[in-house]
Amino acid sequence: MPERRFGRSIDSLEGIHEFVAGFLESQGLSGPLSLDLDLVIEELFTNMVKYSPGGAPEIALRLERRNGGIEVVLRDFDVDRFDPTQASEADADRALAERRPGGLGLRLVRRIAETVRYEYGDRTSTITLTLRAAN
Amino acid sequence: MFRIDFAQDGTVLLVGRLDASAAPAAMATLAAIDRAVTADCSGLEYISSAGLGVIMETYKRLHGRGLAFQLIHAAPGVRNVFRYSGLDQVIDIA
Repeated sequence: MPERRFGRSIDSLEGIHEFVAGFLESQGLSGPLSLDLDLVIEELFTNMVKYSPGGAPEIALRLERRNGGIEVVLRDFDVDRFDPTQASEADADRALAERRPGGLGLRLVRRIAETVRYEYGDRTSTITLTLRAAN
Repeated sequence: MFRIDFAQDGTVLLVGRLDASAAPAAMATLAAIDRAVTADCSGLEYISSAGLGVIMETYKRLHGRGLAFQLIHAAPGVRNVFRYSGLDQVIDIA
């Protein structure tokens, strides 16, 4: 059950990518799953960085092999509630001229992840995702 | 790591990982281009919503001036991200 904490900064993305690659290698997994995992984690991690600048200095990321898939758990400490499962996503049907980047990330997460669960307590946001290993 | 190279024929080469940390510099580089653009994505390993934002803003800016912007040689994984986002319905990806 590898868990690591990353600084609340976009600059942590490279370290997160290396952590994910190391986990997949240890599990004998690679290919498209690597891109999907990097993507869903980046989208949720960057949301935490952008929308909770006053949170704890570090955000925890845990990866685990579970039921033939991968479980991703992101924990954000000392933050207000922000539930990405309830947030609105970008509307693909709107004209491009009106479309803004915000919301695209959540749209990607919902397309890629098999399940997304949000929990909040003790000023800690916990997001749990599952992805199929055979994606 | 992400970088933008320019081929002799004017093709823009997107190389590496276009994530949120790379997006601001990528946006600045592409914002300086004021001509029709073909962007070769054969070296593009990864793109997130931040990278899609760069592509989208570049497309909107050039399209608004009547200039073409197309992407070529995108790998299946990168192409999937465009498809999930819906941008493949708007931007020309060959």
